[in-house]
Amino acid sequence: MPKVTYVEHNGDRRVVEVPVGENVMHGALYNGVEGISGECGGGMSCATCHCYIDEAWTARVGGPASQLEREMLESAYAKVKPSSRLSCQIEMTEALDGLVVHLPERQSA
Amino acid sequence: MTTQSPEPFTVPDHVPRELILPVQVAEGDDFLAAPYAYMARLHETCPPVFYRLSPQMGGTWTLIKHADAMFMLRHPERFSTRNATPFPRDPANPFKFLPLESDPPEHRKYRNIVDPVFSPQGVARLEGRIAQRANDLIDRFIGRGGCEFGAEFGRPLPVSIFLELMGLPQEMIDTFVKWAVDLLHSNDRAVMAQTMKHITDYLKEAIAQKQRTPDDGVVSRIAHAAPGGVPLTAQEIFGFVMFLFIAGLDTVFATLNNVWLWLARNPERRQEILSRPDDLNAIVEELLRVHAVTFSGRTVEQDVEIRGVKMKKGDRINAILPACNFDPEVFPDPTRVDFDRPRKPILAFAQGVHSCMGAHLARLEVKVSLREWLRRIPQFALAQGARIVYRPGGVVGPETLSLVW
Repeated sequence: MPKVTYVEHNGDRRVVEVPVGENVMHGALYNGVEGISGECGGGMSCATCHCYIDEAWTARVGGPASQLEREMLESAYAKVKPSSRLSCQIEMTEALDGLVVHLPERQSA
Repeated sequence: MTTQSPEPFTVPDHVPRELILPVQVAEGDDFLAAPYAYMARLHETCPPVFYRLSPQMGGTWTLIKHADAMFMLRHPERFSTRNATPFPRDPANPFKFLPLESDPPEHRKYRNIVDPVFSPQGVARLEGRIAQRANDLIDRFIGRGGCEFGAEFGRPLPVSIFLELMGLPQEMIDTFVKWAVDLLHSNDRAVMAQTMKHITDYLKEAIAQKQRTPDDGVVSRIAHAAPGGVPLTAQEIFGFVMFLFIAGLDTVFATLNNVWLWLARNPERRQEILSRPDDLNAIVEELLRVHAVTFSGRTVEQDVEIRGVKMKKGDRINAILPACNFDPEVFPDPTRVDFDRPRKPILAFAQGVHSCMGAHLARLEVKVSLREWLRRIPQFALAQGARIVYRPGGVVGPETLSLVW
C-alpha cells in the first residue's frame, strides 16, 4: 500500500499507509495525525485540511485540482503558498507512494 | 421589535445590562413574520455580541458574526456541547447523543465509523436512488396541478433516503414521518415523551436485529463497530442511532421548504438555474447559505472574551448561523442570491469537529431534488391565498407550502 509521510509543524514525522483511491486528508484523520482537522469530511467547505506539498513532490502532485479548491484555499487559516493544497483533494495513487506533505501550525484560529 | 420583560430571568452580574437586547430569534412576531430578513437585519440593528433572554433557553450570549461563530465552533475545549439538545431523556436510560455530545479525541472514534458513508464519495452512490425517489413522489401529484410540498415531497424524500441509508425498511416511511412531526413539532411534552418511547423501542429492536444479522446499512455498521478493537456499548450504539434519526430528518425538510418557497417567488431565478446545469453545486451552496435552518448552542467551559465582552464558565452561548451567513464582511451584499460568489465556508452545517456529518447527503438531496423537480415542473407558484407561517422552534422553515402549476 502506498505510504504518505505527514510532517507536523514541530518537525514530527508520521508515516501512514493510505489505500489507493483514498485521499490524503482521510489518511491523516484515520491515523490520528493531528495537524489536519478535515472538519467537513472532504466536501471543500471548511479549508481545514490545508497542507504544503514537499518540494520534491510538487510536480507530481500538481496544483489545486479545481477553481473551487483554489477559492476555498483562500479561506485557509495558515499562510497559503504555491505548494498549498487541500489534502482532501489529493487522491492516492501508486505513483504517489512516498509522498511527503508538511502541515501548518494550525488549521483554524 | 417586541420588547420583553427580563424579570422572570436571573441575569448573571457579569452581563452588562446594555448588552441585553430584546431580540427574539426563533420566536416572536417580528422574527416569525420574515425570519431571514429579520436575521440579516441583525447586523444593522445589534452589536456583534449581545445577550438575549429566550423563553426556551433562558439567558444566552448571542453571536452573529461569521468569525465569532467560527471561533466558538472550532474551540470545543472552550465551548462544550453538553446540554446541546433539548430532547427529553429518560433518567433510567441516560444515553448521550453521539457523536455530538462527545469531545475530541473520543469524538473522532465515532466519526470514523460513519464518515466513509457520509463523505462526498460515500453519498454519491445514492444519487440515482434519490433521483428515483424524487420522481416517484412527483409522479403521485404532478397530474393534479398542485401539491402540499412539505407533506408530499419535503418530508417523505429525506425520510425515505434515511431509511435506505440506515438499512431500515421503506414500509416504515409513514411511521417515521409521523414520529418526526410528533417529536419535533407537537410542542406538547407528553406527546414528545410518548413518541420518544416509540422511537426508542423501535430502534432498540432494529439494533438487536442488526446485531444478529449484519448488513451494509448504517445501523448495522454502528452496531458492529469496534474502534481500536473495543466494541461500542449498548448505550453508545443507541445514542448514536437515535441522534442520526433526530439530526437528519427535520433539517432537510425545512431546507427544502425554504428553497421551494424562494423558487416559487422567483420565477426568473428558476430559469437561471435551468440554464446553468453545470453550476448546480455552486447554486446549491448559495441557496444553502441564505436558507440555513439551525443554530448552534454551547456552554462556556472556560472564561472567555469575545470582542471585549467577557463570558464566564457555565454561561450559555448561541450562534445564529443563518445570521452569520449574512455577515457582510464575508458575503458582501449578503441578502443577494448570487450563484457566482467566491466560495467561502458557509455555516449552514456549522463548522469545527461537530460540523454536520450529513452535510454532503443534504447537499446531494437538495441538488437532485432541484434538478428533477425543475426538469418536470419548471413553472410553479404559491397557491392563491396560501399563507406562509413560521412556528417557533429550533429549525426555521415554513410550516406548509401549497404549490400550484
